[in-house]
Amino acid sequence: MTQAQDTNVHFHQELDALEQKVLGMVDRAEQMAGKAVQAVTTGDLDEAQQVIAMDDELDETYLEVHREWTSLMARHQPLGSDLRRMTILLQLNSTFERMGDQCVNIAKITEFNRGLPSVERINEQIREMGDLVRPMIRTAIEAYIRQDLDEARLLPAMDQPIDRINANMYRETVAAAGNPSLLEWAAKMMMASRALERIGDQAVDFAEQTVYLITGERAEFDEHGMLGIPDDDE
Amino acid sequence: MTNETSTDNEIDLRMEEQMTEEPTTEEKTAAASPPNAGSDAGPTKPTGVIETKAMSVFYGDFRAVADVSLVFGKNEISALIGPSGCGKSTVLRSLNRMNDLIPTARTEGEVNYHGQNIYAEGVDPVEVRRTIGMVFQKPNPFPKSIYDNISWGAKINGFKGSKSETDDLVHEALESAALWEEVKDKLGESGYSLSGGQQQRLCIARAIATKPDVILMDEPCSALDPIATLRIEELMLELKEDYSIIIVTHNMQQAARVSDKTAFFNVKLNETGMRTGYLVEYSPTEQLFTTPKEKDTEDYITGRFG
Repeated sequence: MTQAQDTNVHFHQELDALEQKVLGMVDRAEQMAGKAVQAVTTGDLDEAQQVIAMDDELDETYLEVHREWTSLMARHQPLGSDLRRMTILLQLNSTFERMGDQCVNIAKITEFNRGLPSVERINEQIREMGDLVRPMIRTAIEAYIRQDLDEARLLPAMDQPIDRINANMYRETVAAAGNPSLLEWAAKMMMASRALERIGDQAVDFAEQTVYLITGERAEFDEHGMLGIPDDDE
Repeated sequence: MTNETSTDNEIDLRMEEQMTEEPTTEEKTAAASPPNAGSDAGPTKPTGVIETKAMSVFYGDFRAVADVSLVFGKNEISALIGPSGCGKSTVLRSLNRMNDLIPTARTEGEVNYHGQNIYAEGVDPVEVRRTIGMVFQKPNPFPKSIYDNISWGAKINGFKGSKSETDDLVHEALESAALWEEVKDKLGESGYSLSGGQQQRLCIARAIATKPDVILMDEPCSALDPIATLRIEELMLELKEDYSIIIVTHNMQQAARVSDKTAFFNVKLNETGMRTGYLVEYSPTEQLFTTPKEKDTEDYITGRFG
């Protein structure tokens, strides 16, 4: 009686498989972020096209996960940590799908900006944002897999420089106002910056879900990675 | 433990009850002293209707459940869940001295109803069972008409109303049990002519007709189909406006759907190889089924359990 023996093997196998599929999505989104930044900062249309194709697959997986999730829920009505995992997987499914959409938003700018003049300093800042956001995603994945609360709590601090660069991008754009075609380019790059900033926020959200899975506490991080006050739980 | 004999038990009980004078629920409640404010108070203490303190139940030398301390809330549905043999039905049957009907059964510790120990000397077990009614696993209507199932139960509990007052009582009880519309044109037909779900609601109506304060339910839906089960669950949610309900169920989803608080019991082997049930966790239902405090609870509700 004391040793935990799984009498719910089939459900747990299906749940594990579903989790793998969802984690596969964020892995793909992380690659897409790298490719999108590469495309938009170098004007590489092939690379941009790859991002769009990868997103189509991501959208298919999103629908598959949704179907499988609904089936699993209907057949097993999980409770306890299983219920928490299920809840999180549904939320992560849509978070990762949106990460993919943001990458597409960035990639599409490549085409819009074709033939326009550019400012290397802005390109560099976008690249830096890409270099900051991809480790965030990887850290969030690791925190989830290892169920590591400390690692999950690193995310808000990692997000701060991205927010700063994004805030500064407005000033960079205004500086380009004297030249209409440069302004058009810079305004589009501001949108790319905004998309990267959103991806950073989504990585933080992922880490918050991990905290909920581990602790059962629903909370949002403040900028120091501390938990905010839970909603209405006792 | 002996569900097969519960029908007989209950009829026996009703026979005994013919002998008793029936005080009203209000008198009974007023007579009982308020809960002892000085003792180890839980957060739910002020609203408790039944409280067990270190209750153990024995069958002969065998300790079936050990040291159960629980506070059941007023106008709440409390669910008792756990694996077979964990003692949840034994605990339920101790709450209205139903275990007294088993010759070797013995209860230690206290079961306080509004602060009064129902096992104290001089307490009439028949009166206890009227105030704390019970609905069993298998619907057990009397072999009588639908009308008589209600009126007879009330009469042997001291109801002395006129014909029209009895009519009202029957109507009211069947209405409360969400059965009136289905049976109003065939009150003279046998209780056995009803479906299983209807029979169970008839038994609930019969329990209500004696004006109890608490209703104990021992797996009330385990013999019913899913639709009949949902009707009983809906009924329970309506009844908790007026009564406090304590339910034993094998069905975790049922506990999750209807109850306000859930107690999880487990069973352990002692040195002599005997299995004794014990309380693992008693929490608000939502908490117990989403973020249980105890690992044993988590293992049980996720099916990781030997």
